[in-house]
Amino acid sequence: MRLAAAARVVAVAGATAPAIAAIAAAPAPARGQACPDGLEVLIERPYAEGAGVTTGSTVLVRPAVESRPCPARVAGIFEPPPDPATLNATRPRVLFHLPHLQALTGRDTDVDYFTVRVRPGADLADLARDLEPLLPGAQVLPVSEVAERSSTTFRVVSRFHTAIAGITLIAGGVFLACIMVLKVQERRVPIAASRLAGIPRRFLLWWTVTEAALLSVLGGVAGLGVGLGASSIVNAYYQRLYDTTLVFSRVTGEVVAEALLLAVVLGMAAGVFAGTRILASDPLDEIGC
Amino acid sequence: MLALNSIREFRTRPLRTLLTVAGVAVTTAMLADMLMLGGGMTRSFGELLESRGYELRLTPSGTLPFDTEATVPGFAALRDSVEMVAGVERVAPVLAASVIAEIEGGSAAEGPERSTQALAFGMDPGDQSLYQLTEGETPGQGEVLTDSDVRAALRAEPGSTLRLRPARGGGAWGRRTTARVSGTGQFIFASRGDLQVVMRLDDLQALSSQHDQVSFAMIRIREGYEADSVRAAILARVDRVEIVTLAGVAERLTARLSYFRQIALILGTVSLFVATLLVGTLTAVSVSERLGLIAALRAIGLSRRRIVAGLAGESVVLCAIGGGIGVGLAVVVAVHLESILSDFPGLPLSVRFFVIRAESLVIAFGLLIVSGVVAGLIPALNATRMEVAEVLHREAP
Repeated sequence: MRLAAAARVVAVAGATAPAIAAIAAAPAPARGQACPDGLEVLIERPYAEGAGVTTGSTVLVRPAVESRPCPARVAGIFEPPPDPATLNATRPRVLFHLPHLQALTGRDTDVDYFTVRVRPGADLADLARDLEPLLPGAQVLPVSEVAERSSTTFRVVSRFHTAIAGITLIAGGVFLACIMVLKVQERRVPIAASRLAGIPRRFLLWWTVTEAALLSVLGGVAGLGVGLGASSIVNAYYQRLYDTTLVFSRVTGEVVAEALLLAVVLGMAAGVFAGTRILASDPLDEIGC
Repeated sequence: MLALNSIREFRTRPLRTLLTVAGVAVTTAMLADMLMLGGGMTRSFGELLESRGYELRLTPSGTLPFDTEATVPGFAALRDSVEMVAGVERVAPVLAASVIAEIEGGSAAEGPERSTQALAFGMDPGDQSLYQLTEGETPGQGEVLTDSDVRAALRAEPGSTLRLRPARGGGAWGRRTTARVSGTGQFIFASRGDLQVVMRLDDLQALSSQHDQVSFAMIRIREGYEADSVRAAILARVDRVEIVTLAGVAERLTARLSYFRQIALILGTVSLFVATLLVGTLTAVSVSERLGLIAALRAIGLSRRRIVAGLAGESVVLCAIGGGIGVGLAVVVAVHLESILSDFPGLPLSVRFFVIRAESLVIAFGLLIVSGVVAGLIPALNATRMEVAEVLHREAP
């Protein structure tokens, strides 16, 4: 359980653009405070569309329910960045100029966090360690650690997917082995006859294994087709559900190669398994002599 | 005779039978786990909320408890209004604020182990709705109760003193106070890595300069009253707040994790399909190998219905054996998957994704049996529709 910071302020150090702030809901009451002059706001596109707000509209904003509403001109509509961490955000995001938000919320000297651009070659861990004592109560984190912490959800989901994929692989392997056993058993008489005719066991085993591998490749290609289709459906469904441009499922070359390789390896294993079984039996028994 | 024939068939083809049973077991396990996952979170979270004994939550408009730092102002007057509503037994306010805690005698400069940021809850004296006392006493005036992580991080044993200051604004220039550690507790809604402390509501309000404000309040309803009707009665008296029932809270929170319900539905359906396909394939091959026998049985007067029942029974037996093993496997897999998802950030540790319930296992087993019947019926019906004489002629040695 984490109490989310309600007002998220981004001060862009070194940027030429005006510093801007993003708020989800302002926390501090500002009873009796005057409204800042020239208040301007950017509103995220999905909310603006739903609320019928356009550039040039005037909206009323207030930092808390009991505060006095202040008029703000909608300076523009922005497309929210495709950030998975904000998919479940239940409130619309709006952007203010930092001084405007500070004045509106009565937090004139506050920021929730700020970013620091460091000189090339600086050791981030050392710098963070040096800066932290200067800011009692604040944490100084290299951006990689921020990314690491904020991606915990996706790491957990990824581990969950891996576990599910493992179970699916076992089920698929068993299925394939079963089919190969059936196929080989269907041909036990021709195989036995081939053995009696002098065709070496190794050749017959390779025949079985090659057939299993081919079957797996065919199944794998068909499965990839299903996967590509499913991926498109997943993307279309969730992009529409969350009104976002985020790509939820991506079939990469690496995924294709891994899937095909696994299919071939599993198929060959199933072929070896089934072929070894049938070749271990007596060919005379198999043809009923 | 058909039963004996089925057993003989299984024994004649032990490898094939074994592989089918293994396949069915794995797919049953997957199906049962997906059934557990589908409804587990909502149920688990609902049970957790119910266990605290408060049926309604009052929050700032548009938020849920712990959602934001938004607060309900003017709570004293609001509380009076709520308590006057018929059916309201008790109102338990909670203020949550981030604080920086230091052990007396240490400082932030001495190292992170002597100073930590924690989420502080301000509550009515003696109210344990968010935690369970494990050692010491509930916090009184000027006291604080810590969770075991804060205790370990600061080496804050009961009786020691903590310096507290609000984390907002860096905590360096704000108000600060000292509090005696009254004890240690287990926080019910804490997720992994959370550091939490609890103190009296008025103490935290003073520390965080949030006078007469609360983050949310829990409302207990008298016996015999309906949560929905009491909620409506409260909303008729107060405005600018949200009042949600426990079911509403659980529903909204699990809606944010709808991904898992959807993946459970998809994988559960695929598992059932794969199991049906596996058993169907095996039964079809098995039947095609015994066409002569089936024709002979029909020739000596055995009814079509008995033959079909016998062949479908074979696939049901396979499903029953595989399903039985799969149900046991499902429990093992659920424990493993739960251990992975227990790291999911922001969820109370006591919330379970996979709630192992007999109902889910029975449904999975039942669905497998139904799929076994379907998988067995199709090839069996096809086999018994063939002309007896033609089959006997074709299959004759």
